[in-house]
Amino acid sequence: MTRYIIRRILWGVLLLIGVTALTFVLFRVLPTGDPARLRAGRSASPEVIAALRHDLGLDKSLLAQFWIYMKEVFLHFNLGYSYYSSAPVKGLLANRLGATVSLTVGASIVWLGIGLPIGIVSALRRHTLLDRASMGTALVLVSAPEYWLGLIVLYLFAADIGKVKVFPGAGSYVALTSDPWKWFGSLLLPWLVLAAGSAAIYARLMRGNLSEVMEEDYIRTARAKGLSERRVVMRHGVRAAINPIMTILALDIATLLGSAVLVETVFDIPGIGRLNYDAITHSDFPIVQGTVLLGALFIVVANIVVDIAYAYLDPRVRYS
Amino acid sequence: MSPIRMLKHVLASAALAGALALGLAACGSSSSSVSGGSGITVAKGVQTPRTEAQSGGKRGGTLTVLNHTDFEHIDPGQAYFNIDYEVIYATQRPLFSYKPNTFAAPSPDMASGPAQISADGKTITIHIRSGVHFSPPVNREVTSADVAYAIERGANANVPNPYFSSYFSSLVGAGKEIKEATGGPFPGITTPGKDTIVFHLSKANAPIVLAALVLPLSAPVPEEFAKQYDAKKPTEYGNYQVATGPYMLKSNSAGKVLGIGYEPGKSATLVRNPTWNPLTDSRPAYLDQINIQIGGDATVIGRQVLEGSGMVQNEAPAQSIVKLAYEKFRKQLEISPGVGDHYIAVDNKQGPFSNINVRKALWAALDRTALDKARGGALVTNVMTHFIYPEIPGFEAAGGLTGPRVDYNDYPEGNTALAAKYMKLAGYPSGSYTGSKTLQVVGSTGSPAAEDAEIVNQTLKNLGFKTRFNLVDSSAMYAKYCGVPAEAIDVCPNVGWAADFGDPQAVLDVPFNGKNIMSTGNNNWGLVNNPEINRAMDAAELLAGTQARAAAWAAIDRKLVAQAVAIPFDWDKAPSIESSNVAGVGDLWDTGEWDYSYTSLK
Repeated sequence: MTRYIIRRILWGVLLLIGVTALTFVLFRVLPTGDPARLRAGRSASPEVIAALRHDLGLDKSLLAQFWIYMKEVFLHFNLGYSYYSSAPVKGLLANRLGATVSLTVGASIVWLGIGLPIGIVSALRRHTLLDRASMGTALVLVSAPEYWLGLIVLYLFAADIGKVKVFPGAGSYVALTSDPWKWFGSLLLPWLVLAAGSAAIYARLMRGNLSEVMEEDYIRTARAKGLSERRVVMRHGVRAAINPIMTILALDIATLLGSAVLVETVFDIPGIGRLNYDAITHSDFPIVQGTVLLGALFIVVANIVVDIAYAYLDPRVRYS
Repeated sequence: MSPIRMLKHVLASAALAGALALGLAACGSSSSSVSGGSGITVAKGVQTPRTEAQSGGKRGGTLTVLNHTDFEHIDPGQAYFNIDYEVIYATQRPLFSYKPNTFAAPSPDMASGPAQISADGKTITIHIRSGVHFSPPVNREVTSADVAYAIERGANANVPNPYFSSYFSSLVGAGKEIKEATGGPFPGITTPGKDTIVFHLSKANAPIVLAALVLPLSAPVPEEFAKQYDAKKPTEYGNYQVATGPYMLKSNSAGKVLGIGYEPGKSATLVRNPTWNPLTDSRPAYLDQINIQIGGDATVIGRQVLEGSGMVQNEAPAQSIVKLAYEKFRKQLEISPGVGDHYIAVDNKQGPFSNINVRKALWAALDRTALDKARGGALVTNVMTHFIYPEIPGFEAAGGLTGPRVDYNDYPEGNTALAAKYMKLAGYPSGSYTGSKTLQVVGSTGSPAAEDAEIVNQTLKNLGFKTRFNLVDSSAMYAKYCGVPAEAIDVCPNVGWAADFGDPQAVLDVPFNGKNIMSTGNNNWGLVNNPEINRAMDAAELLAGTQARAAAWAAIDRKLVAQAVAIPFDWDKAPSIESSNVAGVGDLWDTGEWDYSYTSLK
C-alpha cells in the first residue's frame, strides 16, 4: 500500500511538471502572451520593452527560460509577480485560498447532506410520489445555471436587496478567523447555490447506484442472514453504491477549488476562481499560471485521496 | 497621447452602452433636457459634475465604494486608467489638477501658482507649494527634487510610465533616457531651489508638456524611500507608497500598503493622511474613510448602491441599473458629458476610401442616430458632428453640437440621394460602387459595438460595396487589425478616443497626424496623412494660451471634417450612481467618476 501511494505521488509530481510545462509554453508561445509587452504597458517604447525583456530573461533561449521557470516554481515555490499590482502570486493565492476552501468544502457538505439521503430514499422508494418529486426537483436544479440561481436568491433573500431580507447578501464575506458567525452567515446562500446543482446530481447518482446494488445477490444473502433492513442498506448497500460517488466527489471538490468563479462573482467572494477570471481578463499571466498550477495540484491530490479512500471503502480493493 | 486611456474609455463606454442598448434607447430622447457645459444636453433631473456642489458638505463618515473591477496600477508613476485615478487623485497631488467641474482649466495643486513659460517656449519654471508633507513613514516636507524624481522614474524600465514618451520626450536628455530606460536623472529637469523646478525642452512645445503635468506622473515621490522599491523588477513602490493628498492607502509603519490598505482584487482602504494640511489644499476632504470593495456582479452592485446607504459605484453601471436609476432613482444618477467619442476609421491611404468623395458618401449615407440608439440613445450619447468633443477647448469653435455646415454632415439619419451624389463625384456614375474591391471590415464583438458595426456594414452594402465583415474582441481589433497598417483594413467601424487632458491636441494629434502612423500599435487607424493638416498640427502644438490653441485646433478640426478623414457618430456621456444619502461630486475630467476629496455623506 505504501509503495502504491509513493508511486501515485511520484506520478502526481510528474503530472504537475507536465502541466507547468504546458502552461509555460502556452503563455510564451501565444502571440498575445509576450510578458515584456504586457508588463511594459500598451504605450511602452521598444527600448523599454527590450529592457524588460532582458530583465525578465526573455532574451534567453526558450529552454533556458523554461529551466529557470521550473527551478523557481519547484525549488523556491516562486510563481512570479502580478503584472499590474506587482504582488507576489504566491501571496495572492494564499490570500484567496481560505475563501475558496470555505466555499467549496461547505458546499460539498451541503450537497452531500442533501443529495445522498434523497438518493437513498428515492432508491428505496422507487416509482413512488416521493421518488418522482425528488428526481423532478433534481432535474430542475441541475438545469438552473448557478449565476442565475445566485442572482435569484439574492433578489429574494439578501438582507440588502432581497424581497425577504433574511441572509447576508453579496460582498458580506468575512474570513473564518475574523468572525466565525459572520463567516457562516455570509456563506449560507453561496453554499446553497453552489450545492444545488451538485446535490441534484449526487441524488440521481446515489439513486441509480443504490438501485443496482440492492438487486445484487449479496444483498439478498445479507437479508437471508437476518440482518436488519437498515443494516443491509447502510452497511452493504450504501457502502458499495457510494464508491463511484467518492471518485466524483473528490474531483468535483478539486475542480471547484480552482473554478467556483460564478458563485464567487455573484456573491462577491474573493476566491481563487475570481482571481483567475480577473487575471485572464487582464492577461495577467503569472496569476493565470499560478491558479492553473494550483488547480492541477488539487486534482492530483484529489486523485490520490480517492485511490486511498477506495481501498478503505471497498474491501475488495487492495493495492500492492 | 497614448491609446490606453482611449482604450479604457472606449471599453468602458462600450460596456456601458451595451448595458444601455436594450433598455434605454428611448429614455433620453423622450425626456426633457437641461443644458450642461458646451451646450451638451443632459436628461432632466439627473446630476452632472457641473451641478454638484463642491462645498458645504457634511464632515465625517465612511463612504463605501463598490467596484466590479480592480485597479490596474496604484503607483502614480504607472496609473493610467480612470478607475486608478479615483485613488491616485485622492492620495497624490500632481503639480496641477482639475477641479471636478472642469476639463479645460487646471489649477495649481502641488505647484504654488501658474507656471512660467520662457519667451522661446522651451523652458517651464514652476514653484512648489510649501508646507506639504509626505504621509508616514516619510513625513518630511515635499521639495522640488521629489517632483523631479517622480517624473524621472517614469523613464525607468522598472516602472515604466505609459505616457512618458508621448508627453515628456522633448525634455532635454529624455531621448537618451527613453532609449536607456534607466530613470534619470537627466538635464531636462533641474531644481535650482527646494521650491523650484525647471523643465528644459529641446523644442518649443511647452504648452503640451505643461498640460501633461496634470497627469499623476508629476505627483512627488521621495527618492530616499522609493528608490529601494524602484530597483525591483518591476517596481514595488506602489505597494509601499506614501501620499501627499488628503487621503492615503492604509499602511503599516513601514509604509507597506499591499495586504493592508490594498488587497488586489478584493479591497482598498483609504484613510486620512495625518500629515495633510488643509491650508495647503483647496479640496475639502469631508470623508473620514473610503472603503473600496472590488468584485461582484455589476447588477447586484448597482442595486446595493441605489437601495443602500453610504455607497457609490465608481464605474459604468450595468444596463438594468442605469434604466432602474433613470426611472426610479433619478436624483441618484449622474451623467457626465465629454467622455470621449466613437467614429468609423476608413483607410485614407489606399482602396476606395482614398477618394475623398467616397468618404463623404459614407458620411452622408450613414444613419448616425441609429448607431447612437444602439449605444443607449440621447441619455448617454450625442450625435457626433466633428472631432473635438464636448468639454474640450475648441469644441464650440469647431462647430459645437451641430458641427460644420457641410451637406454630408447635415443629415444625422442619413441621406441616400446625397450619398449617391458623392459616389458619382467619385467616379461611379450609377451612384453606387461598381469596382472589384471587397472591403475588409473589422469591428468589435459585444454590444453595442457589434450592432454599430452591423449598421455600418449594411450602409456599405447599400453603397454597393462587397464586404468581408469580421467581428473580433475589442483588444484584438486594435492590436491585430486596425492598429496594424500592414493588415490593410479598409473600415474599422468601432474605434474611439478620449483625451488624457483637456487640450484639443490630446484629441486630434495622435489619431490624425501622419507623423504618428506606426507599424504596430498604431492609433491613426485611418492612416490619415494630409500634409496640410500635418503642418497645421505641428504649428498648433507650439501655440501658447488656451484660446489660441482652441482656435488653431478648431480650425484643424474643420479641415478634418472638410476632408472627411473619418466618419464620426457618437459623443459619449457616462452615467454614475450613488446612494440617496451620498452627496457625490463627479469629476468632469475623469468620465464623471466620483471624487472622494469632494464627495460627502448627507
